[in-house]
Amino acid sequence: MDAAPATTCNPVTLEIVRGAIRAAQAEMEALIERTAMSAFIREKKDFYTALFDAEGVMAVGSNVPVFGDICGPVFRDFPAATMREGDLYWYNDCYGSRGAVSHSNDQVFLAPVFLDGQRVAFVMGWAHFADIGGLRPGSISPDATEIFHEGVIIPPTRLIEAGAVNHAALAIFYRNCRYPRVAQGDARALMASVELGVLRMREIAARFGPGILADALRQLLARTLTTVRDRLKQTFPVGTWRFTDRIDGDGHGSGTLRLRFALTRTPDDRFILDATETDDQSPGPVNFLMNPDVPGMALGLYFLGGDPTQVVNAGGPRALDEVRLREGSLLYPRFPAALGMRGLTMMRMLAALNGLVSVAGGEAPAAHAAYVIILLRGSIGGRPFLMSDGLGVGYGARGFADGLDGVYFVAQENYPVEFLELEYPVRLRHYGLHRDSAGPGCWRGGCGIVREYEIMAEEAVLAVRLDGVENPPWGAAGGQSGRPGRVLVNPGTPQERGLRPLSDGNRLLRGDILRIETGGGGGRGHPFDRPAEAVLEDVLGGLVSAEAAQRDYGVAILGRSVDAAATAALRANPPAMRAFHRGVYADVLD
Amino acid sequence: MSSTDLRPLSVAVDIGGTFTDVTLQDGDTGRAWTAKTPSTPHDPSEAFLTGVRLALETAGESAARIGRVLHGTTIATNLILENKGAVTALVTTAGFRHVLEIGRQDIPRRANLHAWIKPRRPVPPSRVFEVAERIAADGSVIAPLDEASVLLAAEACRAAGVEAVAVCLLHAFTAPAHEIRVAAMLREALPGVAVTASVDVLPVVREYERSLAAILNAQVMPAVSTYVRRLEERLAEAGIAAPLLLMKSNGGVAGAASIRRAPAVTALSGPAAGVVGARAVAAAAGIGKILTVDIGGTSADICLMRDGAIALTQRGSVGDWPLPLPMLDMVTIGAGGGSIARVTREGALAVGPASAGAHPGPACYGRGGGFATVTDAHVVLGHLPAALLGGRMRLDAAAAAAAVQREVATPLGLGLHEAARGILAVVDSNMVGALRVVSVERGHDPRDFTLVPFGGAGPLHGCALATMLGITQVLVPPAPGVLCAQGLLSADLRAEFSRSVLPGQAADPAVIEAGFAALTAEAAAWFAEEGVPEAARRILRVVLMRYAGQGAELPVPWRGIDAAGDFAAAHRGLYGFDLPEGRAEIVTMRLEAAGALPIAEPAALPPGRGASASGSQPVQFAWGLAQAPVYDRARLGSGDSIEGPAIITQLDATTLLARGWSAAVLPLGALLLRRTET
Repeated sequence: MDAAPATTCNPVTLEIVRGAIRAAQAEMEALIERTAMSAFIREKKDFYTALFDAEGVMAVGSNVPVFGDICGPVFRDFPAATMREGDLYWYNDCYGSRGAVSHSNDQVFLAPVFLDGQRVAFVMGWAHFADIGGLRPGSISPDATEIFHEGVIIPPTRLIEAGAVNHAALAIFYRNCRYPRVAQGDARALMASVELGVLRMREIAARFGPGILADALRQLLARTLTTVRDRLKQTFPVGTWRFTDRIDGDGHGSGTLRLRFALTRTPDDRFILDATETDDQSPGPVNFLMNPDVPGMALGLYFLGGDPTQVVNAGGPRALDEVRLREGSLLYPRFPAALGMRGLTMMRMLAALNGLVSVAGGEAPAAHAAYVIILLRGSIGGRPFLMSDGLGVGYGARGFADGLDGVYFVAQENYPVEFLELEYPVRLRHYGLHRDSAGPGCWRGGCGIVREYEIMAEEAVLAVRLDGVENPPWGAAGGQSGRPGRVLVNPGTPQERGLRPLSDGNRLLRGDILRIETGGGGGRGHPFDRPAEAVLEDVLGGLVSAEAAQRDYGVAILGRSVDAAATAALRANPPAMRAFHRGVYADVLD
Repeated sequence: MSSTDLRPLSVAVDIGGTFTDVTLQDGDTGRAWTAKTPSTPHDPSEAFLTGVRLALETAGESAARIGRVLHGTTIATNLILENKGAVTALVTTAGFRHVLEIGRQDIPRRANLHAWIKPRRPVPPSRVFEVAERIAADGSVIAPLDEASVLLAAEACRAAGVEAVAVCLLHAFTAPAHEIRVAAMLREALPGVAVTASVDVLPVVREYERSLAAILNAQVMPAVSTYVRRLEERLAEAGIAAPLLLMKSNGGVAGAASIRRAPAVTALSGPAAGVVGARAVAAAAGIGKILTVDIGGTSADICLMRDGAIALTQRGSVGDWPLPLPMLDMVTIGAGGGSIARVTREGALAVGPASAGAHPGPACYGRGGGFATVTDAHVVLGHLPAALLGGRMRLDAAAAAAAVQREVATPLGLGLHEAARGILAVVDSNMVGALRVVSVERGHDPRDFTLVPFGGAGPLHGCALATMLGITQVLVPPAPGVLCAQGLLSADLRAEFSRSVLPGQAADPAVIEAGFAALTAEAAAWFAEEGVPEAARRILRVVLMRYAGQGAELPVPWRGIDAAGDFAAAHRGLYGFDLPEGRAEIVTMRLEAAGALPIAEPAALPPGRGASASGSQPVQFAWGLAQAPVYDRARLGSGDSIEGPAIITQLDATTLLARGWSAAVLPLGALLLRRTET
């Protein structure tokens, strides 16, 4: 009589399986990075991978808290039981996936993994495609007011059926892209990466046995769930904790829009996140169709911290018992509201979750600015070009470190100056940290960026997305808010004009100077408690001006050193502080 | 190098944390002598010379007969890793002083955005100074160099008390005139300060990475210069007139003069020497395709080599910093004999990257270390003899067992031996992951390769790693713990000369040919400086290509025709597809120059008279407890063979021969392990 195959993964094998999956993920990422065609993927690296168990539950994700339930939308049209070896599924349908994808540029490729006819896992490759048609080049535009303006929509589609590629579907897609060759290269890279992932996962399943693999994935899920649950309990006493954060508006006249979160821990330890009080959806494309898994994924990432043995996966979302959203609100817009610029709302959502931890007495980072993106389109020598440039911002101060200076987001890199100038008809006059943008604090916020372009194309049309001008990122525990950014054309000349920070259709001509200053992150702790030497170093490094050192930090700088006597006098009477700060100190932000 | 007949001796010196090892070899006979002396960290040149003298005495040779002195140095590596180099300033184009601080504007993919802290740059923003000038992407001058601003920058450098200055100006890789002028002015204004222009180190696109290369170079320059000068002085005092050659990260050696100019090329000197040594051992055994794994105390370096060819990468890094200088395509992971095993709060078993180092070291060293390390796991299972280093260092088996029990077995509810095997399984699995990365990711099947494990801990893991990878052959070098010397003695002189190609010019073969002509001239000057005779000069032309739009390049040998076709084939081989619609373009030209040095035939081992065990010890294998015979490698002769399970001990390493494996002693002393059952 044969013994039943082993189905319990011991701790040693678990670690080995985890390592093998991580290695497979690294290989998939390297393949995308090296072969993709668009600068958006190759230089900016806007792509991710994830592995799922046989039922499609995310077991090993990425350190980016924006993923919802990826597989569910595919299963609705293609039940898992009907899938076959060699299948590949594809979608970008935001509303059709209930926000698993939250703007249409993001393409998801998903494949089941089979071993000896048994489904053992799923593999995902995900990347932002630079253009998929729509209202304007780049597909996302502040002008958009419907999702139909934001490019072609791909519902969950079986792109490859048992090895046979549906070339017609790809041809229709490419025909709808302004740069079909680039889209083709990117799609090819992503597909090759998923194929590689399938191969690796099959090898892992064969090596350990499907039963052991399934148990390993189950344990990884359980481990994350337990950790996040425990830390939720440590952070939030029984009761309801509320935090409200704001975006400046939708670029179509909405004015300030509020995200209102309430986290309740019931006496029987149920955790309920309620965002139903959030403002109504907007005509402009700042609506964020938030998959109900996303807040749990984001809180999970925070609670897992920097421990490399931890895995971000569906254990995060499962730690929350319920997520309540209101249809018709900014976080649950009705079809076909535009979504393209949801990034700024998403980044504010992350800050609001930090706010919830803070009001409960936790040490979450102060608020960060939302990363900034510009799209410049025009023609040079009769050929059209599209430059999507991401600009870093300041992140929030932590209880153990300053906020990050000039960072865009996880895994996304800048275009080097030399690369940009070789590739696009622009010349940079200035690229540096935005002095005095960091929110003052014992730990200061991160500095934003200044990037100043000279337009070399005959003419160009600019879209820009910059938030937090009217509602800068808040500071906590005595730290002050970050200072806002702005967008200027021909600064310091009689022709100087400011552009609306969320706008499209801005016409620029050859020789025009475009200056973008991005916002800084919030500080933490009273600025007068920051060591004077640290303030001096910031002044000498061009991050803080001598005036701001005196005004915000109470530190007097004399030449290249601290004036100790004057500093002691300045710091003798520190201004009173309160729990939060956004422009002014406040006990509660609304 | 022409006087080898009169001065046939080569001497290779490898300075470790504890000992300095010297190998002296006679090029005519192949005979070699070794010497070991305690290192002298306060002045490493002291032990360097003591060792050389000792080796000469042992051999009964005279200093005058030494024809070359070879050395692998970790000075630059340690200065970079510990950020202890010279106080350095960066001088850059006005408007761009924060490029270094911003870096690539990202939070790393594997980092947690809430917890990550940007690594502190080797130069803080307060020591970055700007000069007024600007060059366009096509190399034309937009704003001429304002020399007054250079003098101001020099003044600022002086006020900041810097010992070194790096200069990196935008687009200098295309038009270096401004950068060269700034460097010259700074040298004049700041006597005694080490000045590095980025184009002298790495004339390729991307300002952040190029700035870093220039900074790291400048930062290590004073210490490396001083060090090299001291060595040369000591050698002269000892009557050794031979040239001093240092190992570079590219697996070749170069003369002291060129190392002084660009010391950053020695950042991976140590690991590179080992890999080159492994290549020599494999070549002597007639083996061309090898996967090397160099397992030390804290890390393992893994490299793939085919047909003795050195594959270079420009995507390498040292510590936190990308360093796109051509270096051996190696992967380093934090797994070694000292790697600490622990159980996390969530009940996960983690091994490394933290290491117990040499002090206090593994628990079994008996120096008060309480961590359970990989070495302790080996001791618990009986893989190591009771004492190391020829009996000089006893291992405390009880302390090892206590640590593994307390740190791993008890928290996980496992038995002691099961826990020890678990630690090894995890660390082996991590290494297998890296071995797969260097093979599969580069389009190769590891099963086609011979595994060459070395470093003090390498041969303990050889059979296990090979089994996991499906590899059936393992080659253990004669002296796995001191393979660097072998590498030094078998290395060529090597240098690379590269140049970026502007997008508009990439399609024109005439431009490429002209570029290579210029690089060939640079190489000729280098050959002359190194004294390489015409007949010994070899040149390889490589173009780094990609499809227009891609972010990474593949190296393709330049044949003058059909580079696009060669590239498509390489792309297919590596990634599984090519893009017939895509436009292949050349991004960088690289000329790899090698000057062959006379290599001695190693002396053969006397024939064996049949291996006989010197004793036996109990080993806890996964399949059960067994009494394994212990062999003393020094007493094995050519042609001897051993069946596993067995333990083969030698001064600098222990080989664990698993059941189902056999070992044969090759004529030149290497052990060839073969899998006999599957």
